[in-house]
Amino acid sequence: MDENTPLLDELEKGPWPSYVKEIKRAAKKNKAAKDLLGIQELSYKDKVTHWKHGGIVGVTGYGGGVIGRYSDVPEQFPNAASFHTIRVNHPGGWFYTTKALRQICDVWEKFGSGMTNFHGSTGDIILLGTTTENLQPCFDALAGIGFDLGGSGSALRTIAGCVGPARCEWSTIDTLNIVHDLTMEFQDEIHRPRWPYKFKIKASGCPNDCVAAIARADFTIIGTWRDSLRIDQNSVKEYAEKGFDIHKLIVDRCPTDALEWDEKKKELTLKPEDCVRCMHCINKMPKAIRPGVEGGATIMIGGKAPIIKGAYLSWVLIPFMKMEPPYHEMKELLRKIWDWWDEHGRTRERLAELVERVGLKRFLREMGIKPVPQMVFKPRANPYVFFDKK
Amino acid sequence: MNGEVTEALKQKIIEHLGTVSKAKNKEVAKALGIEKHLADKAIGELSKEDRIEYIYLDTSYIKLKGK
Repeated sequence: MDENTPLLDELEKGPWPSYVKEIKRAAKKNKAAKDLLGIQELSYKDKVTHWKHGGIVGVTGYGGGVIGRYSDVPEQFPNAASFHTIRVNHPGGWFYTTKALRQICDVWEKFGSGMTNFHGSTGDIILLGTTTENLQPCFDALAGIGFDLGGSGSALRTIAGCVGPARCEWSTIDTLNIVHDLTMEFQDEIHRPRWPYKFKIKASGCPNDCVAAIARADFTIIGTWRDSLRIDQNSVKEYAEKGFDIHKLIVDRCPTDALEWDEKKKELTLKPEDCVRCMHCINKMPKAIRPGVEGGATIMIGGKAPIIKGAYLSWVLIPFMKMEPPYHEMKELLRKIWDWWDEHGRTRERLAELVERVGLKRFLREMGIKPVPQMVFKPRANPYVFFDKK
Repeated sequence: MNGEVTEALKQKIIEHLGTVSKAKNKEVAKALGIEKHLADKAIGELSKEDRIEYIYLDTSYIKLKGK
């Protein structure tokens, strides 16, 4: 290939890490990476992508986990004529030993381009660029070091969750265990695509929602608490004595006016029934305010990016569910939702789109769930209400 | 989830697959008049017993092993 890449070189400038720099490093020892540079440069020159979606490629026994990619200029860049992506199921919370990482890299340098994404937006380890012939031996080698493929296509995607109680004091549920347990339980659903479209489950340990589950998952698990915030009044006083303006920064910014501040006593009190668990006060005063002790999760549904319709944020389905292994209640709900969606969903229709098409009322009725105020999908847009005179 | 997978049910699935070239899980459930989760469970067992195999043509189908 022509190693002259003036357009790509522009992307090496500036203070930030450059993916071009990384591809150039990989290109020194891998022909596919070298040809990848050429394809990228050509794409910038032609102002059009030179990748096309690659039909069906995979490994024995699995219907997903590999995303086929072929170049439309194979004669110019034969070493990157096929450049498939492998999704590898990550461990809960994305914890690895350095040994495990080295093993993955060794496998990938042997069978692929040597380039990776840690991690893709799905949460998976993304191995970028291999040939059709190398897919099976690469999968076998990954299996040999204890890794499995993740989900792709119209299947359950690799389940993701925040680091939860392993690294965070706010988590009210064990997101790591939930991710692991659901992954083990739903192996068929991950590896055998058979639904109208993709389905994503993501778990965040608290309403800060560090994995952005609300925006990205069809089935969102958000840690919450049933009792009320724990307020340590001695720590509250310390914040106040250090000049922290509790009234302005906490009480005035509570979205539901659930907090009251007594300036004389330097005391912060909560009206528990008004608290919507937004985490604002906890984030601002972490030494003084903590989530309650009776942990569980709010189950939400419907988050997605645009495909048939625009982007949706998840909305509440179950305001509070206890989260104790083996999570029977949640699994049963998931299976019910899948069966209903599989039965009624059109091709490439996500759960939210189906619910909107047929109505939340019907969805709730067929799920056997009673409507509650927390399920309100969106506030009424029209503020004018007219009543018939009777 | 209600319903148990029995050998009789699995045999019915095998017989149904003998009449078609391939089928989706939900088609099997519909043909036999059973709940889909029960069909999923039985099909999973049949796969583990190596009596059926999966084929992936954009979505997942099952067929009799070697048919």
